[in-house]
Amino acid sequence: MNLERLPNEEKLTLCRKYYFGGFAFLPFLWLVNVVWFFKEAFVKPTYTEQLQIKTYVKRSGLGLLLWVAVLTTWITIFQHFRAEWGEVGDYLSFTIPLGIP
Amino acid sequence: RMNLDEISCDKLATSIVFFFCLSDVSCNSVEQKIYVELNNTVPCVRLLNATHQIGCQSSISGDTGVIHVLESEADLEWPLSKGPNPPYMVLLESSLFTRSIMMKMKNESNRVAGVAVVVPNTSPPEFSPHTTCPNENTGVYSDNYGPNLAHCNTTVWNPRGNGLSYEEFDFPVFSLKEDNETEFIKQCYLDHNRAVNGSAPQYPLCAMQLFSHMHAVTNTPTCMRRNDINFSINPEMVCDPLGDYNVWGSIRPYNDTVFGHKENESVVIAAARLDSRAFFWEVSTGAEGSVSGFVTLLAAAQALREVTHEAPPTRNILFAFFQGETFDYIGSSRMVYDMENGKFVIDLDNIHSVLEIGQVAVHSGTNLFLHSDPVSRRNNTVNDEVKNLVNNLQSSTAGLSFLLVEPNVSQPLPPSSLQRFLRAQPIPGIVLADHESAFNNRYYESFYDNAANLNLTYPSDLSPEEQLEFVTDTAKSLTDVATVVARALYKQAGGNESLVNNIKADPKIVTQMLYGFLVSSNNSWFQAVMAPELKNILSRYGACVHPSPPEYYVGVAMSSTPTRLVQYLLANLTGAATNLTQSQCQKPDELPNESRQMYSYLWVQGIVPPNSTERDSFCVRASVRLTKAVSPAFELGEYASKDYSTWTESRWKFIKARIFLVASRDLEMLTLGVGVAVLFTSLLVTYFISTKADVLFSSTREPASAAY
Repeated sequence: MNLERLPNEEKLTLCRKYYFGGFAFLPFLWLVNVVWFFKEAFVKPTYTEQLQIKTYVKRSGLGLLLWVAVLTTWITIFQHFRAEWGEVGDYLSFTIPLGIP
Repeated sequence: RMNLDEISCDKLATSIVFFFCLSDVSCNSVEQKIYVELNNTVPCVRLLNATHQIGCQSSISGDTGVIHVLESEADLEWPLSKGPNPPYMVLLESSLFTRSIMMKMKNESNRVAGVAVVVPNTSPPEFSPHTTCPNENTGVYSDNYGPNLAHCNTTVWNPRGNGLSYEEFDFPVFSLKEDNETEFIKQCYLDHNRAVNGSAPQYPLCAMQLFSHMHAVTNTPTCMRRNDINFSINPEMVCDPLGDYNVWGSIRPYNDTVFGHKENESVVIAAARLDSRAFFWEVSTGAEGSVSGFVTLLAAAQALREVTHEAPPTRNILFAFFQGETFDYIGSSRMVYDMENGKFVIDLDNIHSVLEIGQVAVHSGTNLFLHSDPVSRRNNTVNDEVKNLVNNLQSSTAGLSFLLVEPNVSQPLPPSSLQRFLRAQPIPGIVLADHESAFNNRYYESFYDNAANLNLTYPSDLSPEEQLEFVTDTAKSLTDVATVVARALYKQAGGNESLVNNIKADPKIVTQMLYGFLVSSNNSWFQAVMAPELKNILSRYGACVHPSPPEYYVGVAMSSTPTRLVQYLLANLTGAATNLTQSQCQKPDELPNESRQMYSYLWVQGIVPPNSTERDSFCVRASVRLTKAVSPAFELGEYASKDYSTWTESRWKFIKARIFLVASRDLEMLTLGVGVAVLFTSLLVTYFISTKADVLFSSTREPASAAY
C-alpha cells in the first residue's frame, strides 16, 4: 500500500491499529510500524497528525527492542542448555535433533 | 579398473545426473565415475543402556577422511600428529585392532575421521572385545550376596577381554573383508597417498567416506522418552529395546493358559543360551560361546525322547533356551520375572534344580567342570541337592573319555543364566563348562568365535550335502557331552536307574546341527524341519548363494534366525509327527485328541522324496513354546533400572561407505573464489550496460514514429 495516496487521518488510524495490534504478542507488527512509518514520522514536513504518529512509532520501537532482548536471551539460553535440561528440554522442543544430545 | 585420476569432487552435478540415471541401469553417470561404493562392509552401531552409550557414531552427512594404511603402532604418529592432511581415515589390519591403538585414536578424534578394520580369514592368536567381567552388575554377586566374589574379585572370567565393545567412539568404525574391494582400497592408497621420501603427498588424495549416523543419544531413558514424545512436529522412533523370544519345551506338556504355581509339580530345568555378539553389528558367530551349549542341550533333549516315553521320570524336565543373555541376561531375567509374577506355566517354587550348559568346546582328553554357587551352598538343603546333582553327573560319564570335575568350592559361578534364578531364590544348580576358572575361549564374544575355533573341519573334497552328513571329531565330543547331560537329567528327574545306560545322544544329529549352525544354515535338513513361510530366513540376503551360518546377535526385530531354528529343531527332536492335514494343523482343537493348549502344532516342510519335486510336508506336535524375551525394565517402564537389562539399539537411516579422490582445500577455495568473482563481474557488467543502455543501443535504432 502506498502511503503517499492516503489522507493523513487514515495514516494515523493505520499506525494506531498496528501499534495496538502489537500488544497481542505480535512484535512483528511493531517492526512493520517502525519501518513503514519512519519516513512519515521523522522525515516529512510537519502536519497535524504527525505528532501522534511519532509517539506511536517511538513506542513501537521501544516495544520491539524489548521483545528482541527477551527473545535473544531466551533463545541463547535454550540453545545452550537444552541438552543439559534433559526431560524439560525435550518437552519444550518441537523438533529434537537426531544423534546429538 | 576405475579411472579416478582426472575428476575431482563435483557433488551437485552428480546428484542431478544420478536422479536421471536411477531408472536407466546401464547409464554412465558422473557419480559412478567418481565414487566407488564399498559393499561388503559391516558398521559398528550405537547401543545404549541405563547410564551410557557405547559404540560408534558418524556425522549426519558422513565422515570423510584421507585414507592412511597403518603399518604399526608407531605409525599412528602420522594420522594423529605429523600428517599434513587431517582428518584421516585409518585402515587397520586386524593385528593392529587393539585397545591401545583405538584409545589413542579416540583421544585425538578431531584428526581421525573414522577407522576401517580389515578382517582376515584366519584368526589372530586371541581377541576378545568384551569386558573382562561379563554382566558383572546384573548377576547374583553383589555387595549383599557374596561381596568378595562380586566384580570378579576371585576369578577374572575373560582375562583376554579388552573392553572395546563397551567403549564409545565418536567416529565410525567399519569392518572390511579381505577381498578385492580391500585390495582396491590399498592400491588407491599406494597410488595417491604415499609420502615420497618424507615429503607430503600431493593432492588429489584417496579418501573414504563412512556413513553410520545413529539417532539415539545419551542413554536409554533419554531415547525411550524421545520415542514417546508425540508433541513434536515429526515424531520419530530413535531406539528399540533389544530382545527376542526364549524357546522352552518340556517332557510332559503344560497347559499354556494356566499360569502360576502348580501343586506337587517339581521340575528340573536344563538351560542354555542362544545368543552372542561381536564388536561390529550382527556378525556374531558365537561358536564356543553359545552354539556349543545349545547344540549339546538339543542333542540331550533328543536322547531323552525315547526313554521318557517308555518310562517317564517322576519330575518333569524343562529345556530352556534363553535369548539375549549377552546383554545383562535379557531372556533369563524375563523368565524369572514371569515366574515371580505368575505369568509362566510354573513358579520358582516348582523348580527342583537347574543344570546349565555353558561353553563346552571339549576336545578329547580335556575335562569338563561343574561350577556351583558357594553362597547358596552354605544352606544344607541346597548343598545336599547340589551334591546329588554332581553325583548324577559324575556317574554318567562311565565309558567316556573325559571326567567331570568340581573346581575349588569357593569360586563363584561364571556368568550364566543360573545367576538370575539365584537372584530370586536359592535354587540348587550346576553350570557345566570347559573352563576351570578363566574362559578357555580365546575369542569370547568376537567375530572370530567361528567354526575354526571349535576345530570344526571337513575334508576338502566333500560337497555341501556330504559335509552335512560327515561326523566330525567335534561332533563326537559334543555327542559324549550330550549323553552325559541326558543321563544326568534323567537321573535327576527321578527316572528308572536301570534304563540310564541306554540313553545315548546321536552323533549324526549333532554333526548336522553343528554344520547348520556354524557353516551353512541353508542345508537340506534345516529346510526340512522349518516351516514353509520361514524358509527364507535360512539364507541371508535372499538368493545369496554364499553358504553362511546364522547370526546370533539378539537384535531388535524379534525375528532372530537361531530362535526359530531352535524352536523347530526342538519340536522335531522331541515332538511327534502327526498325520494331520495343513488346515487341521492350524485348527487342531476341532479334533478330539488334540489340544492347542497343551501342545503347539507346527506345519513343517519335510524332505523332498527321491523321485519327486514336491516336499512331503507334515504337522509336528510338540510341547515347545516361545515366550517373549524382552527385559522386564521395558514392561515396567523403569528405563533406568539397575536390576534388569536396559539395553537398546539406536535406529539409523542408512549405512554406507565409499571411496573417491578428494581435491585439496586450496583448489576448492580457488574454484569457489573464481565462481564468486565471475558472479560479481557479471553483475557489474550488467549494471553498467543497463545504465548506459541508451548510449550503447540507441545509435542504431530508428525513432519509433518513423512509419511507412
